[in-house]
Amino acid sequence: MSAVKQDAAPRAIRYSKGARPHFYAESGLDHAMSMIAVLAQEFSVLRDRLDSMERVGKKHGIDFAKEIESLTYDQAALDEREAARQEFLRRLYYLATKEAQELAEADTNERLKQVVESVGKE
Amino acid sequence: MLNTFQQNAHAMLPKATHDEASRQEFVKSYKQFIQQSVLPGLGPVFKARASKRYEQEHGKSPTDRRDVRVAMVKDPYFQHYAAAQRISQELMWDATVDSVDRQLVELNARAKELSAKSKAKLRIPEKFDVPKYISSLDIHCMPGGYVREVVKDDVSVGAVYDRGVFMYSMGYCGPNIDDMGRSVCNYLKRNMKGFAPKRILDMGCTVGHSTLPYKEMFPDAEVWGIDVGAPVVRYAHARAVALGQDVNFAQMNAEKTEFEDASFDLIVSHILLHETSNKAMPRVFKECYRLLKPGGVMIHADLPPFDKMDLLTQFILDNETWYNNEPFWGAMREMDQYKLATDAGFRREDTGFTTAPMAILEFAAQSAEGYSSTAANEVADRDFTAGEFAPGGGWEVFIAKKQEAA
Repeated sequence: MSAVKQDAAPRAIRYSKGARPHFYAESGLDHAMSMIAVLAQEFSVLRDRLDSMERVGKKHGIDFAKEIESLTYDQAALDEREAARQEFLRRLYYLATKEAQELAEADTNERLKQVVESVGKE
Repeated sequence: MLNTFQQNAHAMLPKATHDEASRQEFVKSYKQFIQQSVLPGLGPVFKARASKRYEQEHGKSPTDRRDVRVAMVKDPYFQHYAAAQRISQELMWDATVDSVDRQLVELNARAKELSAKSKAKLRIPEKFDVPKYISSLDIHCMPGGYVREVVKDDVSVGAVYDRGVFMYSMGYCGPNIDDMGRSVCNYLKRNMKGFAPKRILDMGCTVGHSTLPYKEMFPDAEVWGIDVGAPVVRYAHARAVALGQDVNFAQMNAEKTEFEDASFDLIVSHILLHETSNKAMPRVFKECYRLLKPGGVMIHADLPPFDKMDLLTQFILDNETWYNNEPFWGAMREMDQYKLATDAGFRREDTGFTTAPMAILEFAAQSAEGYSSTAANEVADRDFTAGEFAPGGGWEVFIAKKQEAA
């Protein structure tokens, strides 16, 4: 308390005092679950924002919700959508497909270890 | 139940941008979901899986809440439940800090400006010893706790608390988060007709959520709110003005205040006791006895004791101790409050536990934003469920009356 200083741009406190408990045997999973919750929160924020946009549009005579429901897609739009979805799924399954590739190439963590050791020596 | 309860946007409350508000709303929804849809699974998980594994491993059934903990912490369902509870708490504060951080300078200026308009006092001593049970951990994981300041005359943690608690309580405590104070006031109105306290003290008042209803109900009374946190009482004083009330606030410790003997007619506290300590709690009772006039009344609204609760219920309630920086939460429920009261000087026959029904239906009746009567009724009619916010339809209160002068 004695260290209170006048600061041009004081910042609010971000972290609470007191060590955080772990809930999972794998401590990394605590981090992952927190990240997933943050992503779910941001996803919900985006959905809210879209909903807000539709409501703002409606106030100005544009019924986004109705037009979105009746929108038809030409071939170019269909292609773009599908490509975007496949790209999204590729990113989502990055580790799974990487693992499959390693298995296909018979690559292992053991080989990685050997490379590290040998490069260190050679 | 669709919970659309909204907080009253008074002049001291930090404003949220669209996305900040959305993040905060998400937290309220997340907490609602965890309590309504994930929490109920703990019963079957314990019965069908965790307790059986415990029996296999230990050759006996769990016999107290500590055994239940040993059984449950290994269970993946419980792990997801407890992690989600903790994460929702972290998201809640972080989403609130965003708004406060952005407006910190402005909020401090506004607090000064509003406080200057109050007819009531704000007393913050030059030097103050914050008790260790408050300074050792940031209670309920609130960044900064009740006492930390980042700049002179800071109110930022008060602002974080005001907004954060609305989400923690998921709006169940009303648009001004004053349900506890309001419920105790209603109790007095119904059960102590003619009681007209001239001087009222609210101990551990933080930002004055529960303090203000007393001024509303007894407008001629001199009302004081005290707390060990300077930033929260500073915020409380300004917030009262924002809500049209002149209420006195001071930084003081409820264990040993600076008020005179026999100077209050009514002393109340709301969710204070479980944030003190084994040594402090008896001192608070003694201080209440000292401060009360003969015939005066002490009312503490807090957590009900563990007596008569089943082991799983005790265990679920005790999670706050371990996962939400609430070190006295579990131990407080084992304190004998009758003994504390009689040791302080109250007569046993003048003490007792009772229930003050929640005032949530009043908020629906006033058409407060988002308080549909359907949702308010559902909150009011619930049975007590461990792990849900608010103990069913009413708050457990401990009441003691100081004997009249001979």
